[in-house]
Amino acid sequence: MVEDERGRERCRTGIDALDNILYGGIPRSNTILLTGSCGTGKTSLALEFLLHGAIEGENSMFISVTEASEKLLANIIPYDFFDKKLMSGNKLILVDLPMIYQRLGLVKAELSMEEVGLLVSSILDLIKELKVKRLVVDSITSIGYKLKTQEKIRDFILKLAKGLSTAGCTSILVSEVSTGSEAYSTFMVEEALADGIILMGNMERRGDLLRTLQVIKMRGTTHSRAKYVLDLTPVGVLLVPLLKGGGGG
Amino acid sequence: MTLANRVAAEIEEMPPASAVSLQVGVDFYLDAIRAVIDIYASKRDIEVVYVTATISYQAITDILKALEIDSSKVHFVDCISHTMMSSSMQGSQVLFVESPTMLENIMLKTEYLLRKSGEKEKLVLLDSINSLAIHNSNNVLSEFLHIFVSSLRSRNVNTLILSVMEHTSQELSNMVNLVCDSTIRAREEEEPK
Repeated sequence: MVEDERGRERCRTGIDALDNILYGGIPRSNTILLTGSCGTGKTSLALEFLLHGAIEGENSMFISVTEASEKLLANIIPYDFFDKKLMSGNKLILVDLPMIYQRLGLVKAELSMEEVGLLVSSILDLIKELKVKRLVVDSITSIGYKLKTQEKIRDFILKLAKGLSTAGCTSILVSEVSTGSEAYSTFMVEEALADGIILMGNMERRGDLLRTLQVIKMRGTTHSRAKYVLDLTPVGVLLVPLLKGGGGG
Repeated sequence: MTLANRVAAEIEEMPPASAVSLQVGVDFYLDAIRAVIDIYASKRDIEVVYVTATISYQAITDILKALEIDSSKVHFVDCISHTMMSSSMQGSQVLFVESPTMLENIMLKTEYLLRKSGEKEKLVLLDSINSLAIHNSNNVLSEFLHIFVSSLRSRNVNTLILSVMEHTSQELSNMVNLVCDSTIRAREEEEPK
């Protein structure tokens, strides 16, 4: 079993400390749930994962569900390593999901089971056509609101994760949870289906608010389960261990 | 040889990736800072990250300016200005940490500045352990020092930990000694006449 873990190809996130936590990176083709409340840095971390992939020559796609990609780009941290050429060269591809909904005629407030299948097929076709090796969906929670039932959400994630794995695509599904929530996802099925869970949070300690990151599970590798404090900087996400003597979470 | 020159000479002998405890008398505090900045940032082409929990970035740079010491290669992590509710205007040379209790953020800001400075030789000056001890328990301070110094050492960065003798308890002194390779002591009355 240990040999299998060592042998599993890794998808380096490019965030040094996170790669160290994961003993080399996310196992290739895994689907990860990146979860946390608002303002914890989920989108920034996910985008950095894609940028490093694009720089390394892997086609990387960001599917934005609620926010227009232009607005997203305008608001991201001015990363030192961000180069607009990555977009013109199709290494970094930004897709607005509402455009796909429109093209497929998925205009109703709630999708049927058939329409869920159609949506998954369309995303997977894009992945295969553009040879995408890294994908971020921001957020799976927003898609969930259009699917409504746990059954349909389960079906969507299962089909998507299976298709992505077959295509050799490592993916991050961003999940939003409310502040103080004990759960890792809104609909409770996302966390059970994902190969890994990375939890981001805001931790208050004696009046100070710290951004934290913790890898809860990651199939295919051993990993640290400790809590880390993070900073979003122009050189990327930086992490240091949470000081235990400091109390709090 | 003046006290400042002696301290300067001893600091210059720091081997790479070492951590040194610089224990100074209260009267020698400003001279010690001046000696360190003058050697490292002005005379030797070394990037200095100055973590200040004692006096604000603005006050230190004003002092250095008055002494005509070039501090252009010094980058500051100021963790006291916010707490004092004093002006904390962002500048190219300074990053602010909201409070000296946010020890993890001190490590993160230092890490950021070290990454930005590239491959040059580097020194981190921690000013001072006494100020950090006012805001943090010995437990967490000890943990912080261990992680911080070990991490800097593993990256070949020199660390200088400043403490003021008159304000340093035996426990605090032991804590610093535990992570440091050597100690430089400097107090006016200790100098031979």
